[in-house]
Amino acid sequence: MIDLRGVPAPELSPPPGACLRVERPEPGLAVVVLDPPHRSLTVFDLPLLRDLDGVLDELETSPELRGVVLTGRDPLHFATGIDLELIENPGETERILKLVKVGQRIGDRIEGLRARGIRTVAAVGGAVSSGAYELALSCGRIVLADDPGSSVGLPETRFGLLPAWGGCRRLPRRIGVPAALEMILRGRARSARRAYALGLVDRLTPPGYLLRIAGDIAMGRRSCPPRGRRWALRWAIDRNPLALGWIGWRAWRRIARRGGGLDPALKQAVRRVVPAALEPRTRARDCEAVALSGLAGSEACENRIRFHRLEEHAPGLGRRSYGSAPTGIDRAAVFGAGTMGGAIAGALAEAGIATRLFDHSPASLDTAVHEHRARQARRRRRGRLEEHEERRAIDHLAATALRIGFGRTQLAIEAVTEQLEAKRAVFTELASSMPPETILATNTSSLSVNAIASGIANPGRVVGMHFFHPVPRRPLVEIVRGERTEEETVTVAAALALRLGKTPLLVADVPGFLINRLLCPYLDEALRLYAGGLDPLRLEEVMRSFGMPVGPLRLSDEVGLDVVSRVAGSLHVAYGERMKPCEVLEPLLDAGHLGRKSGDGFHVYLGFAPRAEPRLSSDVRRLTPPTSSHEEFLDDEEIVDRLCLPMVNEAARCLEEGVVERAEDVDLGTVLGLGFPAARGGLLRWADSIGTRGVLDRLEHCATAIATGPNPERRQRFEPAERLRELAAAGRGFLG
Amino acid sequence: MRYCLSNGARASGKRAEVSLVLAPRRSQPVEESPAPLAGTGGAILMTTGHVPFVHRDPEEAIVLAAGLRTPQVRAGRAFAGEDAGHLGSALARELLVRHGLDGSELDEVLFGCAIPPHETSNVARAIALRAGLPARVPARTVGRGGGSGMEAVTAAITSIRAGLASACLCGGVETMSAYPLLMGPELTDLFGRLSRTRSIGGVLEAWSAFRPGWLKPRSVGLESEIDPLTGTSRGAAAEALAEEFGVSREAADTFALRSHRRAARARDAGHFEEEILPWLPLGARDGSRALQHDEGIRDGLTRDSLAELSPRFVEPDGTVTAGNSAGSGDGATALLVATEARAVELCLEPLARVRALAWVGVEPARSGLAPVFAAARVLESAGIELADLEGVELDEAFAARVLACAEAFASDIFGREELGRRGALGELDPERLNPGGGAIALGRPVGAEGARLLLTTALRLRREGGGLRLVTLGSGDGLGGAMILERGNG
Repeated sequence: MIDLRGVPAPELSPPPGACLRVERPEPGLAVVVLDPPHRSLTVFDLPLLRDLDGVLDELETSPELRGVVLTGRDPLHFATGIDLELIENPGETERILKLVKVGQRIGDRIEGLRARGIRTVAAVGGAVSSGAYELALSCGRIVLADDPGSSVGLPETRFGLLPAWGGCRRLPRRIGVPAALEMILRGRARSARRAYALGLVDRLTPPGYLLRIAGDIAMGRRSCPPRGRRWALRWAIDRNPLALGWIGWRAWRRIARRGGGLDPALKQAVRRVVPAALEPRTRARDCEAVALSGLAGSEACENRIRFHRLEEHAPGLGRRSYGSAPTGIDRAAVFGAGTMGGAIAGALAEAGIATRLFDHSPASLDTAVHEHRARQARRRRRGRLEEHEERRAIDHLAATALRIGFGRTQLAIEAVTEQLEAKRAVFTELASSMPPETILATNTSSLSVNAIASGIANPGRVVGMHFFHPVPRRPLVEIVRGERTEEETVTVAAALALRLGKTPLLVADVPGFLINRLLCPYLDEALRLYAGGLDPLRLEEVMRSFGMPVGPLRLSDEVGLDVVSRVAGSLHVAYGERMKPCEVLEPLLDAGHLGRKSGDGFHVYLGFAPRAEPRLSSDVRRLTPPTSSHEEFLDDEEIVDRLCLPMVNEAARCLEEGVVERAEDVDLGTVLGLGFPAARGGLLRWADSIGTRGVLDRLEHCATAIATGPNPERRQRFEPAERLRELAAAGRGFLG
Repeated sequence: MRYCLSNGARASGKRAEVSLVLAPRRSQPVEESPAPLAGTGGAILMTTGHVPFVHRDPEEAIVLAAGLRTPQVRAGRAFAGEDAGHLGSALARELLVRHGLDGSELDEVLFGCAIPPHETSNVARAIALRAGLPARVPARTVGRGGGSGMEAVTAAITSIRAGLASACLCGGVETMSAYPLLMGPELTDLFGRLSRTRSIGGVLEAWSAFRPGWLKPRSVGLESEIDPLTGTSRGAAAEALAEEFGVSREAADTFALRSHRRAARARDAGHFEEEILPWLPLGARDGSRALQHDEGIRDGLTRDSLAELSPRFVEPDGTVTAGNSAGSGDGATALLVATEARAVELCLEPLARVRALAWVGVEPARSGLAPVFAAARVLESAGIELADLEGVELDEAFAARVLACAEAFASDIFGREELGRRGALGELDPERLNPGGGAIALGRPVGAEGARLLLTTALRLRREGGGLRLVTLGSGDGLGGAMILERGNG
């Protein structure tokens, strides 16, 4: 009997033995079905673990047992992994350690059945992740339902954790160290076909045959050779200290480059996975448990789980308040085939929405269609698409330079140039050529949705959908609610964003909305530090080790220096002195250095080799030399403060003004929209970790430092916002 | 009798006698001749009991309600990366969306295709589904060789007449670029044996018979050009026709030049803008632009450059060259065919009514003249004369053939002996024959050509204020199809 005292049980726990049943379809075969009555999704919680342990007692003593099949309540629903709540509120490490040991023990006991001459087969399907896959790994063979809904993955590192129920030990033995390391560090799920090709499972079978095939294998009627790694490779790589050393070093370096200090889980994973095939099993098991219990309480883990919860709640925006989903969009139109318009239209077509892309210029239409097709071809080359899916994506995009054929459009997105008059003209035209119920969305980044919508009949259907560049890679869409935007419009727009695989964030119609309003002081401050004599490479390096995916100068390049300058200009007009842009960019723009798109910005982008790191452009210093050396000797922490605290300050103002409803929204937006490190939990979570009092002090420190410098006028952005002062005075954080 | 004779002579290989047969010229004295003999060649009586369709009740009129086509491109050029499904579906999608339809209004989708792609033998169904039509709308691919595009419209009309449908999406599609290359029978056999044998000995034995010559592929495109019943190619048949009707090389070249000039004029006048959907083909190079109109129109073409080409089939004195015949092409045309009442209900403004249609069969060896027979039949059934027509659109596979047909139209002898009329059908006014150019300039995607001719004619009727126009074509296996389109003046 295992010891589960102290592990919290969920409400309405069923009585012992109710969470799974053992079927005996024929003599010698036991089918263990995980079917907890209190859960719609099977997760490993206290009652289930307890019952599993009990069943193993029974199986171990059962005399003429020859085969065991472990399966879920449905061929496409095995289990999704461990109950996050068990880890989410970490008390003492003791308890976590206990929980880990319970799982490990169950896994080891399943493995132990083999020693008794019992064949064990995991018959799994659906999303088989984390703990569920780890338990399956302890079975002799894994049979996976061959279905688009099936996937296999170990996403623990995404939660700042480690696969500790045997994942770190058994996976490398199964598929080899390099593949296992990749799988665990990335935490990405693999489709059924891919999982089979990688050897994550031993056999695929249609969902309807899953139990029969698994039963046959368990009874030895059907052979199922293991898909594991060849012995030669196993000896050459997985047990070769030299090779392992090299693999470990590479992984280490990669983690270090990506702000590795933030996520102890990644380094732990490397430490556990690399020697997996060499270490004695018991030692590996204990190390795994200790490593996990260390991680479970860590701040990174807590932040990541919290962030995961935020993401989980985001889809709520795509549903009506009483829970029903709006009718899906089948026919959409995009006006303006520029970079953004083309990419948005492409994303819509990819999602299976018949999209009509309009532009006056046939040349930009052609470019947009080319882009779309090339992207599909690329995805196909990389094995992301089947041929028919590529065809489907291509079929769903139609380009036209004629203003006809929009009569049945359900939703139109406008993405023409950022000029109020142009946008209003397009909107008036849209309103007249489309049915009155068509939702009209504008992809403006700096103009007011209210202003664009003025004069439109039926303005309740106008909404802002602010996509970010490059569209396919940015997971956030700001849904901008204008003054008169109806609730239903917001819901439909959010549902559309979700369908495109993006997370919607509801924001109010203020200049810059949320993300650009926060981004602007961040980028501008970076430019000012450069102008103040700080080494640009150091600036980039510090922010990357803070956890940003790219440094601020590189980010400016990616966005486009002209765009940065324009948006900064418009925000300056809207918010006054505190958003005043510095003049560093002007000479660069005059010289035609627009960033990534022109191949030259702060960095030089040679060719289009995706992996080549861009190097710092030598032209920058010549074109726009630093104007002083005032900021040259800032230390790392000060650099982070200078860049991030104005964002915190601005976020406080946004909360004050009700740009977003909750502080959590700022966190969601900053992580998805700005690439703020998820391990820090988002901007305001990070601010809270310093404490509002601390933020106030540091802002003051920055302000005094600037006051003596060459550009004292930008002090305003370091003047604490009212909300920040209040919170600091009350001794509270942003997140309550 | 003369025509029967000439046929017999050709069949028995007596070329010398053929040349003795006088080509029927209008200037020749009209002779009394007996009624044509059944089974001996060109006679309208050869058609099986096909009852021609004629619309009489204006309430029940069937109309071409709308239409659109892709640019047509020489095979292997810009559309080499296209497939018939994409070509047809993107076109159909655009046609429907331009007229505010979502496809649920349609009762059937019919596409003509001479050689459908092997992976989608019912290419119409692929087109319907890829165009986003509801799955419940049935689709069929129809084939009548070079008449497939017109056959699709015929089939739609038949369905509508039978009460099975009231609105159909019709058209033709052909990607001759995608015609496959086949392995010869020996190689096929070798692979068959290899797949059956398991032992190394068997494999070696199978391979031991291998000869490098087996690697020579067979081209479906080339082989489909040759009539399997007579063994002559379409080009050779046109050449024989030219010989029979005394069509000179100069006349054929002049006609080809005229076709290019007229097509260029139509293009410059913007006639193609309402007809053609600008097309960015699949597989187009990055940075290339969408095709706005047919790629085959040659602006710089001169009589001299045409004269330089050597005859393709009969060297050195033949008539048919690459310059005065329509090459194989890729393209698609889509048409909405509906009853007039249904078209009005769907808020469509019909382009033209289908006044009458007819299909006839002739000896495959004389397939070049099939358009004349079909025209005679359709005029007869509609009860009108050639002179009543505003214009004629005649399938331009070969300039020689068009000119031969023109001769036949005008010939009294031909009219009496072959068509069983009192005299000639009537003279074709060159100005009214293919006024916007034809397949020689525009390219000829076989299965789509019939629908293209109908679309071009219907749009011309709308543009030029109505009247009656004849569309007539022939396919290589001796079938002729003709339709009379009608539009009220104004």
